[in-house]
Amino acid sequence: MIDRRLFKIPGIWPRIMMIALLTLVQAVTIVIQARALSIAVVQLWELKPLATIVTPTAVFVVSFLCRHLITVAQNRSFYPFVAETTGKMREQLMTKLFRLGPSLVEKTGTGNMVTMALEGIDKVQTYLMLIVIKIMDMGITPWVILLYIAFMQWKEAAFLLIIYPVIILFMIILGLAAKSKADRQYAGYQRLSNNFVDTLRGLGTLKQLGLSKRYAGNVYSVSEDYRKETMATLRIAMTSTFALDFFTTLSVAVVAVFLGFDLMDGKIMLLPALTILTLAPDYFLPVRNFASDYHATLNGKNALQAVLDVLETPETTDRDELKQLAWHDDSSIKFDDVSLTYEDADQPTLSHISFDVHGFQKVGIIGASGSGKSTLINLIGGFLTPDEPGHISLNGQKLPHLSQETWQHNSIYIPQAPYLFHATLRENICFYQPDTADGQVKAACEKAGLTDWIAELPQGLETMIGEGSRGVSGGQAQRIALARAFLDDSRKVLLFDEPTAHLDIETEAALKEDMLPLLDDRLVFFATHRLHWINQMDYVLVMDHGQLVEQGTPAELAGHDGPYTQLRAEMGGLHALD
Amino acid sequence: MHSIKQTFAHDTWVMPYLRKYKWLLVLVLFLGMMTFLSAAALMFNSGYLISEAARRPGNIIYIYVPVVLARAFGIARPVFRYSERLTSHNWVLRIVSDFRKKLYQAVEAKASAIKQTHQTGDILSILADDIDHIENLYLRTVFPIVIGWLLYLFIIIGVGVFSWPVALLMALILAMIVLVMPLLSVAVNGTREFKQKQIQSNFYTSLTDEVLGLTDWVISGRYNDFMKLQNKPIDEIATLRRKDHFFQWWRGFGVQFFFLLAVLTLLIWSGTFFTASKGMANWIAAFALTLFPIVEPFLEVSQGASEWPVYRQSIERVNQLSNDQPQTVAQTTLTEPVSDLNVNHVTFHYPDDDKIILKDVSLNIHRGEKIALLGPSGTGKSTLLKLLLGDQKPTVGIVTINGTPVSELQQQRAQLFGVLDQQPYLFDTSVMNNIRLGNLNATDDQVKAAVAAVELKSLIESLPDGYDTEVQESGTRFSGGERQRLSLARILLQDAPIIVLDEPTVSLDPITERQLLDTVFKVLHDKTIIWVTHHLAGIDHVDQVRFLEDGVFDMQGTPRALYRDEPRFRKLYELDTGKRS
Ligand SMILES: Nc1ncnc2c1ncn2[C@@H]1O[C@H](COP(=O)(O)OP(=O)(O)OP(=O)(O)O)[C@@H](O)[C@H]1O
Ligand SMILES: Nc1ncnc2c1ncn2[C@@H]1O[C@H](COP(=O)(O)OP(=O)(O)OP(=O)(O)O)[C@@H](O)[C@H]1O
Ligand SMILES: [Mg+2]
Ligand SMILES: [Mg+2]
Repeated sequence: MIDRRLFKIPGIWPRIMMIALLTLVQAVTIVIQARALSIAVVQLWELKPLATIVTPTAVFVVSFLCRHLITVAQNRSFYPFVAETTGKMREQLMTKLFRLGPSLVEKTGTGNMVTMALEGIDKVQTYLMLIVIKIMDMGITPWVILLYIAFMQWKEAAFLLIIYPVIILFMIILGLAAKSKADRQYAGYQRLSNNFVDTLRGLGTLKQLGLSKRYAGNVYSVSEDYRKETMATLRIAMTSTFALDFFTTLSVAVVAVFLGFDLMDGKIMLLPALTILTLAPDYFLPVRNFASDYHATLNGKNALQAVLDVLETPETTDRDELKQLAWHDDSSIKFDDVSLTYEDADQPTLSHISFDVHGFQKVGIIGASGSGKSTLINLIGGFLTPDEPGHISLNGQKLPHLSQETWQHNSIYIPQAPYLFHATLRENICFYQPDTADGQVKAACEKAGLTDWIAELPQGLETMIGEGSRGVSGGQAQRIALARAFLDDSRKVLLFDEPTAHLDIETEAALKEDMLPLLDDRLVFFATHRLHWINQMDYVLVMDHGQLVEQGTPAELAGHDGPYTQLRAEMGGLHALD
Repeated sequence: MHSIKQTFAHDTWVMPYLRKYKWLLVLVLFLGMMTFLSAAALMFNSGYLISEAARRPGNIIYIYVPVVLARAFGIARPVFRYSERLTSHNWVLRIVSDFRKKLYQAVEAKASAIKQTHQTGDILSILADDIDHIENLYLRTVFPIVIGWLLYLFIIIGVGVFSWPVALLMALILAMIVLVMPLLSVAVNGTREFKQKQIQSNFYTSLTDEVLGLTDWVISGRYNDFMKLQNKPIDEIATLRRKDHFFQWWRGFGVQFFFLLAVLTLLIWSGTFFTASKGMANWIAAFALTLFPIVEPFLEVSQGASEWPVYRQSIERVNQLSNDQPQTVAQTTLTEPVSDLNVNHVTFHYPDDDKIILKDVSLNIHRGEKIALLGPSGTGKSTLLKLLLGDQKPTVGIVTINGTPVSELQQQRAQLFGVLDQQPYLFDTSVMNNIRLGNLNATDDQVKAAVAAVELKSLIESLPDGYDTEVQESGTRFSGGERQRLSLARILLQDAPIIVLDEPTVSLDPITERQLLDTVFKVLHDKTIIWVTHHLAGIDHVDQVRFLEDGVFDMQGTPRALYRDEPRFRKLYELDTGKRS
């Protein structure tokens, strides 16, 4: 029920103490309230005039109001702390997301990540509010009441005391069963939201496969599975509430009957008996409240766990090893026997990669599909961490990985499938440098071959693009990403993962003219399948099945018989028209 | 009230279910009411019991009935409550599954347009919020309010049996709790909760956008901007929520206050009313205690009411989504095999855009013919394919298969077309399941054969989980070219007469590309193929090449004729082979 990490939240202890104090005072008002009401009733029962109950009634009113004012006070004093804590938690979560980058999202799923940051945190907030106050209530109020009852009538007090552990025992047994179910249910919920996002993102594909209508059944069945899991959890939770309800209500009934017999035997007077009867429900109230919020608490606890787990995911450390970096003519980057294994793979995807490039070289990366080009680019961009630290060095400094802030701030990365934000065309282009002068933006568009297209758009650069707005063609998306790169002169390292894959040859040829100057005075890693680019490269890495099988200048590679010449020869034979 | 009527005027999400399950609903309400009545009766009975016992009647028989009743009520309450909760939750969750399906169907009907009008985050937020909201509408608003009102009536009538003036007074006091405070809540808090939800749903959308584009954020290093985008909505939500909570706490106190007045009324009234004899006075304790268990449902009434505006928005939103469905054309089916596909003088521009993309384009493809479609990026190749498939309607002109317009063949399209578009999607499930989507009846061996045809057999079989490897969200487990080929395998399995390929070999290296094209054209030798490509590898496989530029076909012919006669084609060819740069 309680996550231990809860108590590690800074500043929580003083609040707990304060809540405890308020709860104690509240328990006293509950006793006074019951006593005063009973006095009034007994006076009337003895057929005394109404005037005699004025004082007890006034006391009853005051203590009743105090009791509920204290509830407000508890909430009011605790809430700011909770709000601040969860606010911070959300911030940390987002920071974590930013730090861990896409690898975290790959693992948790987009839908899930977003839900966690929004609903998850809200659930945590509810949880924190509930758990501390309710636990204090459970820990203090019943005992004050019990103590008071014991003063009047030890037998009833003993009964109430004995029944309490029985109730708690039931709660624990059922709670344990519910917990494992609830964990499963939470997983079910995650699957559900990911499944739905997944389905929506692939709706176009489903439609083309003629399955979109049938898939409704899938949505339904995933949802039904979730319902069944939820019901299973709820049933347990409800059974536990039922057991609790049953015992508490019945206990009140039993107490009433006990009291009745005692009264008949003259062992007790009406006043104490009535007081005990009035107090009996309040004795059980805290534990009942706790149980009725059990589900909310369980959800909150799971959410808290999920959030804390993400927060505790080890970050790539040492991201600031590299103090300063300005890429110069004489800078160098060296891979010395670098290997990389994906988390769930049993074989390294990249093995024993060694190369040494320096200054403003243009490095082409070629190789068959699946040979590891994108992986290598991702490694260079710092989105992946090599298996062992210390095999990469920059300007002679050994680094654990390239997820160095300074390095990343020096690089521009165009992925194989660039993402367009739901924003204006300008914002998309100026993504790396939001406040760029108009002229520069236009120049970048010109170089990326977008000008004609933009001129046709009624709103020009201010057109909204991306998901949920105007469609753009595959090649246009890629050119927008290229324009981003054209815009930024300060970043001297370019990582291109097939930037022209979606372009036709003519557009590519035209674009190439503009791109070539961009590549000057920069360190470029350029993964491509279009071999004509190789003529413009200074250095070529040939990948095959995760290994760097050949490297050198294009002339060197062409000069001797190796994988590169084979590749070219095979390709030469591919075209059969001439 | 007016707003409630409006909301439900064209509702297909709430009312039908209420009607469909009305007896179950009655049962839930009955059980809910009985729960609290038993609780009240228990206290009532116990108060009487001990007062009577305190008179020390000579014989136990005098208190026998209350003793038995005490036990009975003590058992009845939890039993009622348990059954109420089980029934209501089960019912609501079942409805929710229907909702999800319905929401999906509403979205599906608009599939081709949905990407332009809704963002993923939008729909995600509909899923997460609206559905939950409708669920809560029942559990937190409808049930508690109705139960609260029933109890209210019961109390008034119960007191009214003894004294009408007191009943009237009670009616007024308790009306504060079950009528005035809920209305006040809707007025004061409702707008706040509504606003909060609105901000939240926008936030959903923008956050999803941020997460999907995370790579770019990370490399941009714009940490502060990244955080700033969220701070504003978060702060706004926090402020609203703080006010919301404060209001709720004080409202809770208010309910207790009026409740106190009701208790006092009963106490004083019974103190003056039951004074005729000692026996009568036994009822005083009963009346004084009986109300206490009822405060709980009363507290829920106001809360339920104040959530109404939020639910209303959800109901309206889902209704809107399912009501404005695109117009559908009457569908027919083709029974004879496809003989020709005809694009007849088609002119096209996107509805929200006046740039003419295709100008009076005509194209006739016979059965078994293979056509390559080339052209600069952004001229409208993919658009032409959308027209062929019937995803878009020509502005002028018509597209037909065997003379029947494609718009009338939409139900049959999966039997007619196998399509690989520019962004094929892999679902977050195993390789086997993903490929089998092409043909749900395919055997494992057929799936494996398709995988072998796209040159992935050795890779997949070398993985620890083989064909059961999970591809992860949108296929990230595989490289760009591998994803492309997995999607292609799906099409090979589909076995439709017309195959539409939009750049199937993008992100493939030339050798794999060549091998793949050879296989594709071999496997699909008897099909009609329309193939969009950006370069000329494998072009010798087709019967016809068409160049689309500025909305018209400006070069066409067989590949060999073009190579022979068109210098531009030759130049492209050389660029492509890397002989020229
Ligand atoms: N997240 C992952 N987990 C495990 N294996 C992966 C993961 N991502 C990629 N791989 C595997 O690593 C290998 C190299 O992938 P990579 O994306 O680097 O290829 P590539 O050379 O860029 O290919 P392409 O030209 O098709 O884009 C592939 O076989 C792929 O299946
Ligand atoms: N939904 C849309 N609304 C308005 N314009 C659109 C929409 N989708 C695409 N366009 C525009 O229509 C033109 C043709 O797009 P299309 O996707 O057909 O090009 P394409 O020839 O396939 O290009 P590529 O080779 O780059 O994929 C482009 O200018 C594009 O911006
Ligand atoms: Mg790749
Ligand atoms: Mg296209």
